[in-house]
Amino acid sequence: MTEKIEELRTIDEINEKIKRGDAVVLTAEEMIKLVESSGLEVAAKEVDIVTTGTFGAMCSSGVFLNFGHSDPPIKMARCWLNDVPVYKGLAAVDGYLGATAMSETRGFEYGGGHVIEDLVSGKEVVLRAESYGTDCYPRRHIETTITLEDLNQAILVNPRNCYQRYDAATNSSDRVLYTYMGTLLPNYGNITFSGAGQLNPLCKDPNYETIGLGTRIFLGGGIGYIIGEGTQHSPGAGFGTLMVKGDLKQMNSRYLRGATFHRYGTTLYVGIGIPIPIINMRVAKTAATRDEEITVNIRDYAVPTRPDLRPVVKKTTYAELRSGKVSLNDRDVPSSSLSSYKMAREIAETLKKWILEGTFFLTKPIEPLPRQREVKPLRVRGREIRVGDVMSRNVVTARPSEDIKTVASKLVEKGIDHLPVVDDEGRLIGIVTSWDLAKAIAHDKRRLEEIMTRRVITAFENESIDVVVHRMAQYNISGVPVVDRLNHVIGILTTDDISRKVVGGGRAV
Amino acid sequence: MRAKLIYSHGVVEKPILASVVLRTGVPINILEARVNAQKGELIVSIPATGEKLREVLNLFREAGVQVQEFAETLRIDWGKCMACGACISPCPTKALRFREDWSLEFDEERCVACKICVTACPVKAITMP
Ligand code: SF4
Ligand code: SF4
Repeated sequence: MTEKIEELRTIDEINEKIKRGDAVVLTAEEMIKLVESSGLEVAAKEVDIVTTGTFGAMCSSGVFLNFGHSDPPIKMARCWLNDVPVYKGLAAVDGYLGATAMSETRGFEYGGGHVIEDLVSGKEVVLRAESYGTDCYPRRHIETTITLEDLNQAILVNPRNCYQRYDAATNSSDRVLYTYMGTLLPNYGNITFSGAGQLNPLCKDPNYETIGLGTRIFLGGGIGYIIGEGTQHSPGAGFGTLMVKGDLKQMNSRYLRGATFHRYGTTLYVGIGIPIPIINMRVAKTAATRDEEITVNIRDYAVPTRPDLRPVVKKTTYAELRSGKVSLNDRDVPSSSLSSYKMAREIAETLKKWILEGTFFLTKPIEPLPRQREVKPLRVRGREIRVGDVMSRNVVTARPSEDIKTVASKLVEKGIDHLPVVDDEGRLIGIVTSWDLAKAIAHDKRRLEEIMTRRVITAFENESIDVVVHRMAQYNISGVPVVDRLNHVIGILTTDDISRKVVGGGRAV
Repeated sequence: MRAKLIYSHGVVEKPILASVVLRTGVPINILEARVNAQKGELIVSIPATGEKLREVLNLFREAGVQVQEFAETLRIDWGKCMACGACISPCPTKALRFREDWSLEFDEERCVACKICVTACPVKAITMP
């Protein structure tokens, strides 16, 4: 950065003012208003700190626990809290409980995030552990209840929190999708999005001049620290993330909420607030960034590809998303958040209060967050099994005008269940199953075209088997015709083919 | 208002609902239907209040239909609700929305009891009695 930036104040000077009780602190929303009414120069001169806040689902969250030794002691090899598995690849009575770990008895309903909330709200939690017994740790089994107070340490360490912004989601398919972006109605029925936008800490200092390793923050209602970049930190693209830690014992269950995304899994809503010291004119300017200026891609979650390859259906802003409707293909589509703007506001307000009361001081980061990082996809080495490897190429088809009884006897003779119906060029126009035929005969129907299903679920030869298996489960069907790009039927794939030819790990035998 | 209409054998084939709609002008909405030759059960939403509502319910009763009124549609546990908004855009009737201060607002009159918000809520703050 070569341009000369006017310095305004140092963090030490700001801390002196906090001590004296005359620091000027505004929330990010108040800063935006001040800049609008009095201009950037005035705001920059006047304001020492802008407080931010965000409250959303942050799956990469969890807590390091130390249970203390029982007598006789145990080297816990496997461990559960309220039936949620705790990672035990650590020392005898240390463990890590992740937010997305799910209960082995209650599944989606209860997970690591819920255990964390229960601990923070002072509830008793059942601790169960197993071991193989060693000379120094003879115990093999333990079952007891614990509370947060009983633990030696409970340290929240979240590898990825506080996404700077996040792609919004919609659904082009003809069925409801249940995703980590919430419930997505068919045919672009709604749009969901996440992120606090103009209240988000990283959006207020996108050059990471004041945020870095060692920054003291509001975390889950207590005090926490940034301990570096978060995983998948991608500053170039405007998707910075943070790794944070804090003492769970000081936190408040209002700002740490266990949650479940229906048919997706469990997670933890985390509240984070970061003070932005207005050290120079550039930070003053970015601290006044508005929702209108923060762009977001809306992606189609119906396409089962890598997140960054999901087609972008529109580029929009947090302002449009938050307005409650987004115009998409000349239609107003309802939009709503998954993260709470109300809670984000409350966090920015609380942090402001702490600073004004003189109980929260700012720290100077020891190291800034990296401004350059490449996020790479996972390359899958080796050849993976595709539809073309498993499907039957010897596919029996029929014409719409064919007689049902003749077709039925053909199916019985060949022992098949799915019959694609094609036109004169071999293009798919419908499908009938042996069950459809049995019903049709009972009702005295004559021709295939009277009974065939016209909206056929299909697959392509080069698609991944897992994707097609999931599609068959979604539509509750046991076979799909495989077509080429021109819709010619080139094969058929049934659950029989899959169970016969595919074994675990996706290898064809 | 939501109600369960129970048709016993004998009245099940009669077009009672249609005639009540015609006579009162209240566009009754069927939310759920379980009907067979012996008996039938309909969950309906009746967009009427006071005198008009009583008239609708009486017409059903006179026609031999048993009426069970639901006191509430859905219940929101305001202590649990974190005002995230995950229930808002999936609601097909815009019965859920944000207030000016970004807290959640529920408009009972618009609710058709489809339950999509119940599963959409990440903290189970919405239940349907
Ligand atoms: S039950 Fe359906 S209509 Fe009623 S509030 Fe929930 S989503 Fe909206
Ligand atoms: S989804 Fe649940 S927590 Fe979120 S606003 Fe709706 S009721 Fe409240």
